[in-house]
Amino acid sequence: MRSYKNLFLWFFLLAALASVPFLLPVYWIMILTEILVMSMFAMSFNLLFGYTGLLSFGQAGFFGTGGYLAVLTLLHGSTSIWVALVAGVLGSGLIALIIGWLCVRRDEIYFAILTLGFGMMLFTIAHNWRSVTGGSDGLGNFSVPEVDFLGVVLTLADPKIFYFFVLIIVLLGTWLLSRIVNSPFGLLLKAARENSNRIAFIGANVRSLRLFAFVIAGALAGASGVLFAMFNRIASPEMLHWSFSGKVILMTLLGGSGVFFGPAVGAAIFFVLEHIITSFTTNWMIFLGIILVLLVLLFPSGVLGSLLETWGRIRKGHKL
Amino acid sequence: MKKRFILGISVCFLALILSGTVYAAAKPVKLGFVYIMSGPFATYGQFAKQGAELAIDEVNKAGGINGRTVEGFFEDSTGKSDVGIRVIRKLVYEAGVDAVIGLDSSGVASAVTPVMKELKTPLIITHAATPDVTGTNCNRYTFRISLNLNQNIAMAAKIASEGKAKTWTTVGPDYSFGHQSWEYFQKYLSQRKSGLVFLPDDKAAFPPLSTTDFSPYITKVISSNADGVLISLWGGNLIDFVRQGMDMGFFDGKREVLMTLGAATEVLYALKDKMPEGIWVGTRYWFNANNTPVNKAFVNAYHKRFGVYPSYNAHGAYAAVKMYAAAAAKAKSVDKEKIVGTLEGFALELPVGKVVIRPEDHQAVTDGVWGKTAADPKVPIRVLKPLRKFAGKDITPSVAETGCKMK
Amino acid sequence: MDSVVANILNGLSWGMLLFLISVGLTVVFGVMGILNFAHGSLFMLGSYFALQFVRWVGSFWIGLLLGPVIVAFLAILIERFLIRPIYSRDTSLQLLLTFGVMLILDDGVRLIWGSAYHVVNPPQILSGTIAIFSGTYPVYRVFLVIAGPLVGVALWAFFTMTRWGKTLRAAAMDRRMAEIIGVRAPLLFTLVFAFGAWIAALGGVLAAPHQSVGPAMGEHIIIESFIVVVIGGMGSFPGAFVGALILGLMNAFGATMLPDLQMAMPYILLAIILLARPRGILGEEL
Repeated sequence: MRSYKNLFLWFFLLAALASVPFLLPVYWIMILTEILVMSMFAMSFNLLFGYTGLLSFGQAGFFGTGGYLAVLTLLHGSTSIWVALVAGVLGSGLIALIIGWLCVRRDEIYFAILTLGFGMMLFTIAHNWRSVTGGSDGLGNFSVPEVDFLGVVLTLADPKIFYFFVLIIVLLGTWLLSRIVNSPFGLLLKAARENSNRIAFIGANVRSLRLFAFVIAGALAGASGVLFAMFNRIASPEMLHWSFSGKVILMTLLGGSGVFFGPAVGAAIFFVLEHIITSFTTNWMIFLGIILVLLVLLFPSGVLGSLLETWGRIRKGHKL
Repeated sequence: MKKRFILGISVCFLALILSGTVYAAAKPVKLGFVYIMSGPFATYGQFAKQGAELAIDEVNKAGGINGRTVEGFFEDSTGKSDVGIRVIRKLVYEAGVDAVIGLDSSGVASAVTPVMKELKTPLIITHAATPDVTGTNCNRYTFRISLNLNQNIAMAAKIASEGKAKTWTTVGPDYSFGHQSWEYFQKYLSQRKSGLVFLPDDKAAFPPLSTTDFSPYITKVISSNADGVLISLWGGNLIDFVRQGMDMGFFDGKREVLMTLGAATEVLYALKDKMPEGIWVGTRYWFNANNTPVNKAFVNAYHKRFGVYPSYNAHGAYAAVKMYAAAAAKAKSVDKEKIVGTLEGFALELPVGKVVIRPEDHQAVTDGVWGKTAADPKVPIRVLKPLRKFAGKDITPSVAETGCKMK
Repeated sequence: MDSVVANILNGLSWGMLLFLISVGLTVVFGVMGILNFAHGSLFMLGSYFALQFVRWVGSFWIGLLLGPVIVAFLAILIERFLIRPIYSRDTSLQLLLTFGVMLILDDGVRLIWGSAYHVVNPPQILSGTIAIFSGTYPVYRVFLVIAGPLVGVALWAFFTMTRWGKTLRAAAMDRRMAEIIGVRAPLLFTLVFAFGAWIAALGGVLAAPHQSVGPAMGEHIIIESFIVVVIGGMGSFPGAFVGALILGLMNAFGATMLPDLQMAMPYILLAIILLARPRGILGEEL
């Protein structure tokens, strides 16, 4: 019964997302594209944070690495978006493997600060290695790739086509993530978050578990970075800065880190809020600050998380 | 009862028709503005907004553009590329602006320029100085009305070539702007004068933007024994550097100092008499460099309304609105393609002087000003005495040199 | 003056200022377990009050006396109404909340004082230069080099010799035990947070004559402060002293010796220390 309902929900969501380009004006298609990209980034971060209990302040480093590698590929290697995407994902996954290998030895606040440090080292590389990365101006001026879809050549420069392209990649990423968190491995991750000693007792290696999650999160952050760089036609050093990691943490907590789709909802809330606030004031920082404080105090499990909790209580109430 | 109802209906209908026609006649010309309005560099956005609003009011008072009023839409780039691109897309797709004016950060300008090709909307850059947007990165829709980095550095090199300094070093912010300033300075100065020594990059000082303690860099430059220093710091960094440098004996007269953005009014107003005298400083626009009626009217109106002398960013936004209005009047249209066509080669008398948009790369050929800081009891800030003006054609590199290919 | 000597002085003066800015952060973390993102903004408020008192009464010293007290009162309100409800919650929520407070304070300052840069002059007695090591050096920087250790010693004496200080350390070690023996933890926490804010603002007032006062001050300094307390050992204030000293000296000598790595150096140092000594230089090892 439950799985049917889920299936229906999925179908409804997909139908809604697929019909959007035919209903919304161009600007909102683009905002939705950005929300999708950031959703995948935030959900991949949440594999670390919500499921593994590791607060990483350096995810932007992998996000940006993906973006830069994709643009470098398009400029100097192949003109195929698929090659660029693979380069971005593998490259950021590899960097995540190296950094993760060092970072998973620490936890809690020390893990957070350590990832911040490594993320900022990647930022410095992007910012200072001017001959390769273009320095602070970023790396752009590539021609937006085309995709061959069943013999029809489509250009990703078209906002609608790009939206569908992003939708497919993000759905794939989301599917992968949901498979992982619902697998026995995902259960082990959650168990390790609650009590790492017990996991060690039953013979699992907590560090390897965490490292695996770190690499997956890094690679998917890289994939999001590729999409982001394609969307903005540039890879810029800001993509690697800690404040960008902070933005993803904010989205995740906004939506709710305890729910699979929480980060995606958080990303959507963030963009809509930003749109509304900046439309009537340039002092958006003070409004964002007030909203953040209120959300933490009123919705400590995030908006989606708290709503689901309330919904759960109501349903239980009916049964009683 | 019934009569009154019919009367009511017809009055409403009439009102509707009237408002409709009034609306059609007054359908405004929409100009989008993108500046840094929040965060550490918000002061630049604030100045630009003041300049833009002054210009819009003046244009509207004079009858608008081709009889239509001008309406400004202001967006905050926050100095970040992704936000800059998003708000420009918003301005074009949502607000439906006829042109975009602005951009402070060179990073944002580099990111936005290629996007304008897709948006097919004219962009007039008023502050960002990176040579690339009217050079290797140029395109049909991107214009710049302000002095760019090469033009400013060309003046610096001219002044440096007349001085005595033999060994040159730099203090510049550690991002593209600081490094490019130093590279062009070496190039232009060695073209003018031979036998000079330029310290290599690792011996020069490139403090990161977030630096607040400049003492190590000051010590580095003092102990390098260079007798000429090009300083391309700006804003808060420059203020900190000047104050700490004063205390540490940097301005002891033993070295020639050129500050490429030392005559920016936001810096001069903050430092007041803490700005050393006798230092060569540059800017993009200096409020009393010009005795033309256009400039006097602008400076007076601005000072009257906002209580300070206009900064270069205020001038940039003001000038861009005025140029757009003049181009639209000449084209008798605000059609984007026609505006682009008219702006190419367009010439206009602006407060800064006569500005010509070069058709090949869309860079403004505009006069530049450098001067030596001096005290003036009548003005609260340092003024420029002597003032040196450079003709636009003498400081603008040739199109071939810029690397711009419009296609 | 020899450039090595000059750089030692540069590093010491900046390091001491960094110590004053970040020591409050480590005290708040040590006792309350909260990593306060808004710490840099409290520091910034100190600078703005220095500016305001100079404007009002023309005295830097009055600003030094009253500015930090006002900021401490503001901190009491922040602790009482915003932070107290989430003590039992996850660290990430506390980070998010203090991040929100930071945004409010940073933008609030801009609403009140505008976004322009401001300059605060050092008091007459501390301006100018002094002859030292066969050269001259700014008096104000020498003052910072002396003020840092003085504040450090005063803090050390407070924590080890006074009843209050001992109670604080006890509460930091084991909150429940402290409550059992009769310490009123909520009041204690409020006071500790206010104290952290007070000393951050003190650093802010002292920084005002050294750098331009603007709305970005807090944002620029907060990550550097994190690095100081982490490499020194979180919760250890001698650690903050050592951390600030290392960062200050590294900043001074790095500009000459490793200019290309200047931007990354604090992070490289951070990573090396955290990997070699997980709890920082003077932190207690588990």
